[in-house]
Amino acid sequence: MAVAKIHGVKVAGVASAVPATVRPLTEFAAQYGTDEVQRISQSTGVERQHISLGKLCTSDLCAAAARRLLTDLQWDPTSVEAVILVSQTFDFPSVPATACTLQMRLGLPSTCAAFDLALGCSGHVYGLWIAASLIAASGLNRVLLLAGDVASRTCSPLDRSTSLLFGDAGSATALEKENADSEMVFSLGTDGTGWNNLLIPAGGSRHPRDEGSAVRRHAEGKNIRSLEDVFMNGAEIFAFTLREVPPLVDSLLAASHWTREQVDYFVFHQANKFMLQHLAKFMKLPLDKVPISLQEYGNTSSASIPVTINSRLAEVVRSRSVRLALAGFGVGYSWAACGLNCGPIVAPDVVLVQEAEAWSC
Amino acid sequence: MDEKTFLANMEELLECIPGSLSLEQSLVDTGKWDSLNFVSFLAMAHSKYSKRVAPADLTGCKTVGDTMKLVRPS
Repeated sequence: MAVAKIHGVKVAGVASAVPATVRPLTEFAAQYGTDEVQRISQSTGVERQHISLGKLCTSDLCAAAARRLLTDLQWDPTSVEAVILVSQTFDFPSVPATACTLQMRLGLPSTCAAFDLALGCSGHVYGLWIAASLIAASGLNRVLLLAGDVASRTCSPLDRSTSLLFGDAGSATALEKENADSEMVFSLGTDGTGWNNLLIPAGGSRHPRDEGSAVRRHAEGKNIRSLEDVFMNGAEIFAFTLREVPPLVDSLLAASHWTREQVDYFVFHQANKFMLQHLAKFMKLPLDKVPISLQEYGNTSSASIPVTINSRLAEVVRSRSVRLALAGFGVGYSWAACGLNCGPIVAPDVVLVQEAEAWSC
Repeated sequence: MDEKTFLANMEELLECIPGSLSLEQSLVDTGKWDSLNFVSFLAMAHSKYSKRVAPADLTGCKTVGDTMKLVRPS
């Protein structure tokens, strides 16, 4: 695994935002039956999701989180020198980069660098690595990392493997240079052989949209979806995490010279509860060190780590310094972990965004 | 490998009456061999038998006995 150590950079704050609209999983009972929904919910841990009704995009959620964070940090937007947007559900099919629109909407200066980074489950940690690297290597002082997805908008409502799992969320993480000799440790990896186990087949240049690509057809099990809907092979994804996540955590701990006991919290990508609890048990991590936010937000893709920090650890990171081991893993396959001392930082409660707050452009 | 323990593990996983499963039992006929239990089997093989079973191998299983072969010590 690629291991990187970055010095002299700190996380100053983390904020998350979700659509105000809540969909309890019981809403699926008419479609799948109460028992089936309950069974799925018990396994995944998801009890409700915050979802976009069709107007709210990734950038709207990230912008709400960023505004809140900049205000609470009392950062002048003009002091931000780079903004990175991590997502797999950008506002536009390919051009322009959504990050450019966020530079404008957030009032960031025209001297600010802005770019998109296309990753999902591992994306927030990859974003931290790149943002911290920019500060350490190129002398920037302040970088804003935005990570979010409107994953629910990629799901067929007739596909139980995805529609009952994914929720929508955006996040903002503020990083800045500091003189103290703080260290952020990263461990990263990729296995592209898993590319087709979490995939939207059509809509890009490999398989452009055509007259048949939006037609929903019967797939495996009783699921129905189109080639423009997201497909997930849950068993393959689970097998991948069993294979890669324990070595990822081991690699991070070894590079950080930390024992499991010295880590205050292992904040994992919120894939599903069954998987996280199985991994925690296998890796002998106490469950109270592995916060879970799935019940309230579902799997929020690239935003799930910040959403878990803001919803489950906000009071802790506001008040004291803790050792965090963050780990994202999934679509790609791609994985990344980060070990850092974090806090006290600005960490507001999760912000709710109304549908009417969508950017009307 | 203890066959009785394996059957008991499968009965728990598939929520079947204890003692009701045999190695010859067709998985599909239990009515409970679906994607969630498929993943539960991968987890059980991992935690109780220290085996990382490939989903493609599990897909090929027709009977409870076929799944037992996947977790046998190599």
